[in-house]
Amino acid sequence: MIEAENLSKDYGSVVAVKDLSFRVGQGEIVGFLGPNGAGKSTTLRILAGFLGATRGSVRIAGHDVAREPLQAKQKLGYMPESAPLYPEMRVDEYLSFRAAVKRVARRGRKAAIARAMELTAISDMRETLIGHLSKGYRQRVALADALVASPPLLILDEPTAGLDPNQIRDTRQVIRELGKAHTILLSTHILSEVEATCDRALVIDRGTLVAEGTLAELAALGKAKTLVVELNDPEARAEALLGGLAGIERIERLGQSGALRLSLHASLPPAEVAEHVARVCVEAGLGVRALTPGKASLEEVFAALTEHLPEAQAASEPRA
Amino acid sequence: MTGFLAVYRREMLSLWVTPLAWVLLTVFLLLEGTIFYSIVVHFTTLPDLAVDNGPVQAFFGQESILLLLTLILLCPALTMRTFAEERKSGTIETLLTAPLGASSVVLAKYFAVLSTYALMWAPTLLYVVILRKTGSVDWNTVGASYLGLLGVGGSYLALGTLMSALTKSQLVALLLTILFVFGLFVMGIGEYVFEPGAFRELCAHVSMASQMEDFSRGIIDLRRVVFDLSTVVLCLFLTTRVVDSWRWS
Repeated sequence: MIEAENLSKDYGSVVAVKDLSFRVGQGEIVGFLGPNGAGKSTTLRILAGFLGATRGSVRIAGHDVAREPLQAKQKLGYMPESAPLYPEMRVDEYLSFRAAVKRVARRGRKAAIARAMELTAISDMRETLIGHLSKGYRQRVALADALVASPPLLILDEPTAGLDPNQIRDTRQVIRELGKAHTILLSTHILSEVEATCDRALVIDRGTLVAEGTLAELAALGKAKTLVVELNDPEARAEALLGGLAGIERIERLGQSGALRLSLHASLPPAEVAEHVARVCVEAGLGVRALTPGKASLEEVFAALTEHLPEAQAASEPRA
Repeated sequence: MTGFLAVYRREMLSLWVTPLAWVLLTVFLLLEGTIFYSIVVHFTTLPDLAVDNGPVQAFFGQESILLLLTLILLCPALTMRTFAEERKSGTIETLLTAPLGASSVVLAKYFAVLSTYALMWAPTLLYVVILRKTGSVDWNTVGASYLGLLGVGGSYLALGTLMSALTKSQLVALLLTILFVFGLFVMGIGEYVFEPGAFRELCAHVSMASQMEDFSRGIIDLRRVVFDLSTVVLCLFLTTRVVDSWRWS
């Protein structure tokens, strides 16, 4: 549905997006993840045809955004960050305007608007001036606008930004519901959002793709880097023993007694280090209860990917 | 075409549901009414009237600098929000990601301000009706006068649309347009200031005072029409280019 190839966008000397390539297949819900200022909005604006890429190309449902902008735009519904709307219009007036602009046939327009309002639960507000709506409702009106023409692809830029927890939950529910019929690419800097709604995520930092994959694959990126040992013995002795081992960078105590988390050095294969640790512990009679690869949360993976760029690139190399 | 109509309707709605058009209309009609009243009072003191020198000519052309000054304020105020507001609020992003060409957006917005401008003039037809009650009115001169107003106003509105696309600030758009329009007005005065020559010709050519004077006498000078039309086309073409260029900002 989306094929982005070698996208780059420069603002003068500032490089916002650098050589970004990815694909989003039909029917997927993909999270576009990255810290603030990573280039998410810029990328989405290029996909939506609002900005031109300095280099590279985008195809939406087979149409090149730069060469066939009208055809490409007709295949997508785009919700910009901060959901800009006309405050002087009523909700139904606005949606009717948007449906007309998006060439929804006059005959089907009423039904399309009713459907969009129902999906986003704003039917009660149809005659309210947009300027009088709360932030949550405005966000939903913008979402209704994105889907009023039933485009096969929805591009949503931070659809839950600025909402309260209940509204966030509702919006995610709506997005999951929409995912059954549409391909969705949504950007966010909130990880739980990706966990709650997406099948797959693209992680972007400083304009480059640092990782992509299903949530399990992404979590696995961090998994190999830690080991958790549970011992019968108190931690102090074990710490002294394991601290000297090759391949172990850092040792931290976890809450329960006898549990240690070992952060591994990238230079040695984790399996080898694990074997080493097991042997040392058994030989010293520490009473090993368990030795498991640490489960890094998506949060930790995200932090690792976006904080230490060189390391993160190494982690995403198999992809390329 | 559907896109053009939809944007045109939305623009009209935005102009007329917000106070801007109503405030402008009120001020404009107060000013025009006062001008019309003083002209009528003036002519009642005259013993007789020449054929080409009646209240219609006085209102639309000749010494009525006041009419031109109201245009210099009215047109920029009508166009200042056209693009500047949408860029400030971010709605331009939704507008330009809809399957619409930049040219239909520009044209729809321009025709919306142009029709609003025409609507503002519509009540002044009453003045002509009042004159008709007390004497005879040459409808050809009246028609030519309104055509002149459409030409002058139309080119100012196109200029204003362009200025509004050049900045995100409505105030800057307003001031820039006033600057240009007033510049044209001052240049028009040059017709009476400079020695005969190419420059004076140019001044006479761009002078809206002369244009209104000709048209208010029923003289439809094709050169004036061509000048107005080419100003409109040039400004709208440049506006389209500016809108396209935002993709690269």
